[in-house]
Amino acid sequence: MDPKSLVGTFNKKGQKIVEPEYLLFEAPRTQHFMTGSEVVKEAIRRASIDVSIAYPITPQSEAAALVGELYVEGYVGEYFRGENEFAVMSECAGASFGGARVFTTTSGPGTLRAYENFPMWAGSRLPIVINVMVRGVNSPLSIQPDTLEIGMILETGMLIWHAETAQEFLDFLLASFIVAEEPDVHLPVAVCIDGFFVSHTKDMVMMPPADIALTPYDPYRSPVPCMDMEVPPIRMMRDPFVMKSNYISYATHASWQQEVRAACERSRKHTIRLIGGLIEEENADAEILIVSSGTAVAQGREAVRLLAEEGVDVGIVKIKTIRPFPHQEVRQALRNAKHIFVPEFNVAGWMAREIKACIPDNDRVYAGPHVAGGMTMPPEVIVEEIKKVLSGRKEAVHG
Amino acid sequence: MGKEKIKINDEFYDIMPPEYQELVEEATYGKESRGWKDVGEAKELIEEHSLCAGCPESIAFRYVLACLPKPEDTVMVGSTGCTSLVFPHVAVHNIHSLFGNQNAIASGLKRTLALRFPEKVKDVVVLAGDGATVDIGLDMTLQSWFRQEKFTTICFDNELYANTGGQESGLMQKGFVGKMAPAGKKFDKVPLPEIARNSGCHYVAVMTVSKPNRVEKAIRNAILVAREIGPTYIQLYTPCILEIGKQMMEGLQEMRDSEGPGKRFEFKEYVSDEAKVFLDEMDAERKRKKKALRAARAK
Amino acid sequence: MRKRLNLRMSGLGGQGVVTSAHVLATAASYDGRHAISNPFFGAEKRMAPAESYVRIAGERIYDRGELVYPDVIMVFHPQVITQGKCYTMPFYSGIKPGGLLIINSDSPLPLLDSDLEFLDSQNVPIFYIAATTLAVEIAGTELASNMGMLGALMGATKLVSMDSMESAIKDRFGKKYVASGGTATLDEAIKKKFAKKEQLLKKNMETIRRVYDIGAEWAETIKSPMLV
Repeated sequence: MDPKSLVGTFNKKGQKIVEPEYLLFEAPRTQHFMTGSEVVKEAIRRASIDVSIAYPITPQSEAAALVGELYVEGYVGEYFRGENEFAVMSECAGASFGGARVFTTTSGPGTLRAYENFPMWAGSRLPIVINVMVRGVNSPLSIQPDTLEIGMILETGMLIWHAETAQEFLDFLLASFIVAEEPDVHLPVAVCIDGFFVSHTKDMVMMPPADIALTPYDPYRSPVPCMDMEVPPIRMMRDPFVMKSNYISYATHASWQQEVRAACERSRKHTIRLIGGLIEEENADAEILIVSSGTAVAQGREAVRLLAEEGVDVGIVKIKTIRPFPHQEVRQALRNAKHIFVPEFNVAGWMAREIKACIPDNDRVYAGPHVAGGMTMPPEVIVEEIKKVLSGRKEAVHG
Repeated sequence: MGKEKIKINDEFYDIMPPEYQELVEEATYGKESRGWKDVGEAKELIEEHSLCAGCPESIAFRYVLACLPKPEDTVMVGSTGCTSLVFPHVAVHNIHSLFGNQNAIASGLKRTLALRFPEKVKDVVVLAGDGATVDIGLDMTLQSWFRQEKFTTICFDNELYANTGGQESGLMQKGFVGKMAPAGKKFDKVPLPEIARNSGCHYVAVMTVSKPNRVEKAIRNAILVAREIGPTYIQLYTPCILEIGKQMMEGLQEMRDSEGPGKRFEFKEYVSDEAKVFLDEMDAERKRKKKALRAARAK
Repeated sequence: MRKRLNLRMSGLGGQGVVTSAHVLATAASYDGRHAISNPFFGAEKRMAPAESYVRIAGERIYDRGELVYPDVIMVFHPQVITQGKCYTMPFYSGIKPGGLLIINSDSPLPLLDSDLEFLDSQNVPIFYIAATTLAVEIAGTELASNMGMLGALMGATKLVSMDSMESAIKDRFGKKYVASGGTATLDEAIKKKFAKKEQLLKKNMETIRRVYDIGAEWAETIKSPMLV
């Protein structure tokens, strides 16, 4: 079954199946004022989800519970609470192996408890969409927003997108399923948002109607067999590679990892089509740029406004996809900048490292300001930091 | 999957390798009477294995595959360990993902197959070692039972971590000296069959694999009960001859020595009331059919 | 009109500061303005400090999270001040010059002279409103204290229109609403209090309207009221 052939038909909830491009770009939208958690519900309502598995952890609990309401309403085929995040992500894997479109959510410590599953998802080419509502990682205990965990999942092989606002969150969620399931990609996508800053904040969202839905997942377009015994099984190999400490075993593992990363890179064309580019620039010709992702960008925009009032011209470059990292786009956008500030909601400064690693003359990059553990980053703090550095009162941090 | 999907296209028949033709022609798919006696003749599900020569797990694996009631619609879930060395040779869809998460994978899988194929039978069977089932995966083993997930869990109990070289596991006997139990294991073998019964399993059986008739019956019962009612559990003693210092030919005797009255692997079976009714009906139905067949032949 | 109006609501868990913020922001958006509201990001606990924030502007707002520099601070419970049940010390920290303090208390609280001097120097008046007493009087339940506080704010500043507030109240209480466990429990409590949903809406609006008038009267006594 080609999912495109279902376009124009109606699902069991009476929603009309539409092309993703129609849902994302053409369908008339109405204005709603809602939290990020409610955005999850509305995105999933329109996403033709087969299976979702939930586990409580702040701040994603509300969103995960709302998906449960969709299950009761009949929009989601199967839903239950798993026993812990490691198990939940394995349950999601089982569902995806079996040919379902799968959605789940997690946060902070949950992400880390589930961690072993993520490279397995990617290596097994499971196009699961996981919404990561980032939060601090113990110890000490914190339930507050902190983006450290994104830095920890960078090399899992998953696609990693970071939404700034509730609106972008909605559009990213809807697009993520389609990009994840492209046969030349077929990888999991982590759609990240900053916990509380987006999940619990009421914001304006332009929403397509609820009576249309994405084309469903077709497991038989997968580049690896769907494990449903509907295609003839093969014996995978005469000798399992794990038994052999020889070149073919190394080569198999290495080449598959390369293929997973290549598939991640191949997602660019689909992503650009559906979310309009891997980065977003505003006044990027300015000599001073603020470059980051998520809420750090939102706070950066306010800092730009405050600085403009003082006559200081500052531009913004937002990085939407962290994996694949938009090296070329970032290099191009930052080519004329003299000062590059990378504000981050974590103590490690992983985003600054990513940027430094891909541009020439990277002593232009100032890694900061940083807040962590859930602190707010008032725009005034960014302004102050920029002024300090520009006036030579503070040395740029290198390395 | 209909078994017609495994047939060779007529136009390509003559260019297929003879062994492949033979596999398809001799396949036991769809044969109601398939069972352990097909081992050695029908080899469509497993031919070779990469376990130690003489490993009782290899014959247990063959019995399990030969006794699946509907292999053409069965998906198996494995875990890391010796069993994961065999699965790549097995010609039913099987999933290896991580160590210990097999019952979680099976939960998501079984529900998905039920959702996608509401009109079809799709059996899910977990097959994992004792480390995976009882130690690292115990949480997920039990939780799948609590949730009444409709699949069968089979544990190949060799009483230690064999693939990593003989470390202590929860199913190791008390007092056994193994790696990581240098002074002997300090606590009793985890009573998983009893736990299974108390955790909601509708059919539980413990045995060695020395008596194939018994294994066959248990496997079929477990899978059919899981299909219709709820979770089932089978624990099979498959001793690691290497780690207990036995020779290649001594596996069978080791099993026989361990299944006598009062021994660790004395045959035990638990059937819930609901499952009992179901199995009795199935038995009666089989007898009726047999009788009718006999009557028809007599005419 | 200020380009950006930042409000901080400080109260105790269960008083409805989060609900107030969401309702106020919804009302502002009905007025055609940009608004964002969010709670303080902590575990919810009954009678423990609770805070929420509203930002309102004529342009797109990106700023979010804990509000450090508010124009208006609304104190929902005297204990926020008297027992320091507040995330920021002193409770007015960060208040902008020309700002406004609204405190739910039957009578003025014993603030330190240094506090009063500072607020005076920043041209920040204090509006004491007996929101809980009025809520009990008008709606018959202290659970409507937050409605009283909203009425006081609206009367004193004309921040949002009454029509928009009514629509926002209907959105929040008139239909199925997504709430966390603690909030859901309180929603149930207040629903039980009123035989019908319409009655709940009516009493809420009545509280807002009555306190609005008190707020408007108070604003007239102030040299330079913050009308927005």
